Amino acid sequence: MLKDNLQQALASLNLEVAEGDYAKTGYHLEVAAQPAQMPEVAQAMLGAGCFLESFTAVDLNESFDLVYHFASFEELCRTAVHVPLGKKKGMPTISHIYPGADWYEREVFDLFGIHFFDHPNLKRLLLPEDADFHPLLKDFGASQGND
Amino acid sequence: MIELLGIEEKTYTLNLGPQHPSTHGVLRVLLEMDGEFITKAEPVIGYGHRGHEHMAENRNYMQFLPNLGRVDYLHALAYNHAYCMAVEKLLGLTVPERAEFIRVMTNELNRITSHLLWFGAYLMDLGAFTPFLYCFDDREQILDLLDRITGSRLTYCYYRFGGVPTDIDDDFVAGCRAFVKRLRGRWRDYDNLVTKNVIFINRARGVGLITRDQCVKYGITGPNLRGSGIPYDIRKSEPYSAYPLFDFEIPTGSRGDIYDRYLVRLAEMEQSLRIIEQACDKLPGGPIMAEKVPKRVKPAAGEVYQAVETARGEFGIYIVSQGDVNPYRIKLRTPSFANMSLFPELAVDTLVADLVAILGSIDVVIPEIDR
Repeated sequence: MLKDNLQQALASLNLEVAEGDYAKTGYHLEVAAQPAQMPEVAQAMLGAGCFLESFTAVDLNESFDLVYHFASFEELCRTAVHVPLGKKKGMPTISHIYPGADWYEREVFDLFGIHFFDHPNLKRLLLPEDADFHPLLKDFGASQGND
Repeated sequence: MIELLGIEEKTYTLNLGPQHPSTHGVLRVLLEMDGEFITKAEPVIGYGHRGHEHMAENRNYMQFLPNLGRVDYLHALAYNHAYCMAVEKLLGLTVPERAEFIRVMTNELNRITSHLLWFGAYLMDLGAFTPFLYCFDDREQILDLLDRITGSRLTYCYYRFGGVPTDIDDDFVAGCRAFVKRLRGRWRDYDNLVTKNVIFINRARGVGLITRDQCVKYGITGPNLRGSGIPYDIRKSEPYSAYPLFDFEIPTGSRGDIYDRYLVRLAEMEQSLRIIEQACDKLPGGPIMAEKVPKRVKPAAGEVYQAVETARGEFGIYIVSQGDVNPYRIKLRTPSFANMSLFPELAVDTLVADLVAILGSIDVVIPEIDR
């Protein structure tokens, strides 16, 4: 039920929604969205009663892949939203919709250096305030060797 | 009310931690105080940041396994379990039934150790010393049991891709049965000592309320969520391993205060005992390791998200593979991270003494937040 509702709600935002291969990936729905669409997507997910399960980024060298996972307390339905983001580009925040996203976005800013527009308190979360590096970028020194 | 003319009203900042006994690790909270009341609380985290996610990228799948037991050291086996299941999904391995049973049994024993430690340490936060001695006595029995088969007492690294490396024996099963009996005999003491203790009830009732709306907006999981009346437990709602084969309930609260969270954790231990008991009865024979587990783990390109229910809530592991021997990216979604992010909202307009009570009641493990 929830899956159908979500498919409808997301399709009305002109998004590519695909059925996930649950046995393999753990997803029921896979969505591709553009950065500017993310606040709308988050609003739709909140409207359907889903919570933000996790949010992170993957450094693909030429660009980033931002991954939002949503799930629901009512019914088993995990939605993965992939957002491609160019290097040196910013991302709109969803922390005004999901206050829980506040820390996730700060963490991504901290570890990847991605800027979130309109974030209320965008500063480092896990690393010291005076750190001048973003350790989960693939060109961060220590990832090259097995040191 | 006396009017104080010419006296300016000022708030002041109070620093709690990072080394403070009630923060259970290295957590710092900056408090803005108006007299005795908190107007703003800002947790400062990261003191225990070891870079597990970064470590995952520069070692192979097998080499990363011991890291998992060190993320949340109180429920290490659940973290082992999630990682092994995720890699098994990437490789397409099927785990034999006996291994699944062993995983469930050891996992539940580990969950009880975590809840018992919370129980003792939390009541010590509130000023009661005796319960700590009781539950550490009980917890010690489980540590001995797990020590026999896993070789460690805290940071377990027991599961392998495809099963478990060492089998359990009759002594272990007998030990489990004896422990179930022993702990059941203890509930009466626990109830008399704490649950029915009027000092504790007055301290815990109506304090630190978590609403359903907050749970959705912050992604709260585990006993904190169930204390607020939402029956969400991944062992039931997204069944994995051998859990569908067992009969157990999801205890929930109704008000969402400290006392409800306390009751939920206590009731959960009894449910874990039920699972262990049934597993002892139904334990099947057969192999403990899948056939044809590749020596060199090199999954095809793809991604997987695997969630498990730990003692503190949902632990999710997200693995991105690009067909290499090292994972391309691993994200650890830890329950305390989300639970802790709600804390500033819970702390506003409370007293410092209640702050300690609320912080303890959400059962955070700091290294698990910091990773």
